[in-house]
Amino acid sequence: MALTALEIYKLLPKTNCKECGFPTCLAFAMQIAAGKAGIDQCPPASDEARETLGAASAPPLPKVVVGTGERAVILGDEVVLYRHEKTFYHPTAFAISVSDALDGDAFRDRIRRIRSLSFERMGERLAVDMVAVRCDSGDPARFAAAAAAAKEGAGTPLLLSGPCDALAAALPSLGPDRPLLCPPVGEGDAGARLAAPLGLPLVVRAKGIDGLEKALAAARAAGVRDLVADPMPASLPDAVSLSVYLRRLAILHRAREVAVPTAFDLGNGFPSPFAAASLLVTKYGSLLVLDSDDPADIFPLLTLRQNIFTDPQKPIQVEAGIYPVGKATASSPVVITTNFSLTFFTVRSDIEASRVPAHLLIADCDGMSVLTAWAAGRFTGESIAKILSESGIAGAVSHRTLILPGMVARLSGKIEELSGWRVLVGPQESSALPSYLRRLPPAAFAPADA
Amino acid sequence: MTVANPQQTFPGRIMEVTLPAGEGGRSVSVGGQTALPLLPEGERPNAAAIGIEIRTGDEDLPPSLSHAFGGKGTDPAVLAGNLVEESGAQFLFLSLAGCHPDLGGHAVSRGAGIVRDVLQAVPCPAIVGGCGEEETDALLFPAVAEAAQRPVFLSYADEKNYRLVAGAALAYGHGVVAWSPIDINMAKQANLLLGDIGVPPHRVLIDPLTGGLGYGLEYTYSIVERIRLAGLSGDAALARPILCHLGDSWKAREALDSAEESWGDVIARGRRWEEATAWACLAAGADLLVCRHPDNVRTLRGMVGAPWR
Ligand code: B12
Ligand code: SF4
Repeated sequence: MALTALEIYKLLPKTNCKECGFPTCLAFAMQIAAGKAGIDQCPPASDEARETLGAASAPPLPKVVVGTGERAVILGDEVVLYRHEKTFYHPTAFAISVSDALDGDAFRDRIRRIRSLSFERMGERLAVDMVAVRCDSGDPARFAAAAAAAKEGAGTPLLLSGPCDALAAALPSLGPDRPLLCPPVGEGDAGARLAAPLGLPLVVRAKGIDGLEKALAAARAAGVRDLVADPMPASLPDAVSLSVYLRRLAILHRAREVAVPTAFDLGNGFPSPFAAASLLVTKYGSLLVLDSDDPADIFPLLTLRQNIFTDPQKPIQVEAGIYPVGKATASSPVVITTNFSLTFFTVRSDIEASRVPAHLLIADCDGMSVLTAWAAGRFTGESIAKILSESGIAGAVSHRTLILPGMVARLSGKIEELSGWRVLVGPQESSALPSYLRRLPPAAFAPADA
Repeated sequence: MTVANPQQTFPGRIMEVTLPAGEGGRSVSVGGQTALPLLPEGERPNAAAIGIEIRTGDEDLPPSLSHAFGGKGTDPAVLAGNLVEESGAQFLFLSLAGCHPDLGGHAVSRGAGIVRDVLQAVPCPAIVGGCGEEETDALLFPAVAEAAQRPVFLSYADEKNYRLVAGAALAYGHGVVAWSPIDINMAKQANLLLGDIGVPPHRVLIDPLTGGLGYGLEYTYSIVERIRLAGLSGDAALARPILCHLGDSWKAREALDSAEESWGDVIARGRRWEEATAWACLAAGADLLVCRHPDNVRTLRGMVGAPWR
């Protein structure tokens, strides 16, 4: 349960020594209550205060790290039920499965296809996060070799799914890479004994919330700290309600017994995996295992994840300024748009596709799209005229012609009047920019007469 | 179970709205629930309804749709009949895009005539959409309201045109889709304004503007969640069924581009682009979905029905 500022204050030394950086203990207590400071910042605090406040300020859904280094995957560590309340921090991780029963070429081909599931959108790389190696062969040595090959080929953290003798065979070489272990239902205790001494994260599988509560308690008792829960839904509706209920228990009820990140195996014949994955991206799945390696399935899912896990308070945006595209010179066209990432990257890639070098002028519109910024009064004749005079673009080109997004054609008169630049109204959709730019006569960008 | 009960109860109930059918068709009811979507809790008398959109006018179809529509006819009444029957759509969303000056510039009388023909050919409940061009729509909605021989919903009424659309709807007994641009306050305001001029609440659907996957979906997702939570928490003006029109998902380059091979087959991908948008809207709380791809209608219908009731 969250503590109030007053309850926190009672636990502090009440000496107002200021070592925490705040003027009084009460001021510091208010910061802790608001989640903006932690008890670690108060050196004189008692052990009791540390323990009580440490527990109270721990995230309601603990964090589990899989893998190491740059590609490590963070599961859990969320604080709200609805993204509009704050934001969702750690995107649902996707693992694509590979079977250790595949032989040489087929195995390598599968890994290659998984690795190519990587797409660029809005300046971000959207990619599959993990490879799930399934032990279908029943042969520990084969599984260990497959897991090592998957690690080598894909470069992502691994989910190792198989009986404990197979997991044990893979661990000597892969343990240091922090794979996520996923033993079968009946082998939970043995799995916990494997994970605990190495400090590895473990998927606990059990039917429903009751089952998980017991199984998680057993794994904790065996010394495993980083736990992930698979509630083993039988159907799509089951998967959604279990995921929602587990998240509600963690966030609303602070039920620490079951408050761990979740994993759902949507492969192995799970019905309607695409629908299930879509719903679990929106509804709290921490890790989803899929069998499909078809980009037509994975690209939409990764895009959905990108959408849901953006900060609702702050659109993804780029810096305002002048961006040369290609080898832009003093007689290259000047194209303007807003600093919303989606808009910027769309327009920039369309200019690139035209192979016509250009100066892309980016207006600071608080990360709003062209029409949204126009409707909000942030992309206006006045603001554009100001950018033309203050951005330095006038020094970068010898002409005075601006290409305006077609959607805001109505601004052209005002811009011409205020700035003295000539305005060409571009197409509505930037996808038409390549043919538009290629058709522009060079005379359009002849130096302005002094 | 020693852990708490995770089910949630709410004081409010979403208004039940019925979309009437023509003779031989089945009407569709949505709303009436006291719970969040897709969960076994509260009262949930109706599942979400899945409809299909047919558009008039000269538009290039996305590859995925032209593949799905192949051989199903080009005449709106024929195409609508075939697609509704084959996909199992529970309602039809007829968009008179062809009346837009850039998309065919059909005369208003022709738009109204198409509505008459389609409604005769297809008995399921219908929503009729304008062309999006303000001046044309101002003439179109009254003409459609008159031409429709049975009650339909008119889509849409916004801040500017609500008197006109609601007036046309009231005169002929139709319902209204109240549109607002991803803004909960404007959604509420729209419902209040429609109430003020006498549109009964059980004849109003909320259209919160649905951004397509990758193009504003996240804003819609959160607005739908907020509208639903507000409605269930007792805000009567927001306790209305929500309609998500997935048309924007077909404008995404990712749904259309056949040149990018590493993105996978465009026919499968386009369909998935709409489907992912649909699931996200359902998860947020949508009560009606308007799809364009018949396979998505079939998939969604098959899944949101029985198992989730
Ligand atoms: C998501 C969204 C929002 C989000 C914000 C998203 C953001 N970061 O900008 C939110 C919910 C916050 C929002 C708010 C508002 N919105 Co809004 N929003 C949208 C929505 C659904 C998508 C916008 C988007 O992301 N487009 C994608 C980007 C890439 O498009 P784009 O920047 O325009 O770029 C394209 C073209 O312009 C062109 N292009 C861009 N640059 C250039 C440059 C050149 C040279 C060329 C040739 C072409 C070109 O190519 C790009 C790709 O096609 C649109 C409706 C829609 N379906 O488009 C409405 C829309 C833009 N919003 C609208 C409105 C009215 C508003 C609000 C005023 C509503 C309100 N009262 O709250 C507010 C204003 C904001 C504020 N006051 O703070 C209206 C604008 C009306 C109009 N016709 O002018 C729209 C069109 C909805 C509508 N139909 O009414 N909105
Ligand atoms: S460091 Fe601790 S004791 Fe000192 S003022 Fe801050 S809260 Fe009070």
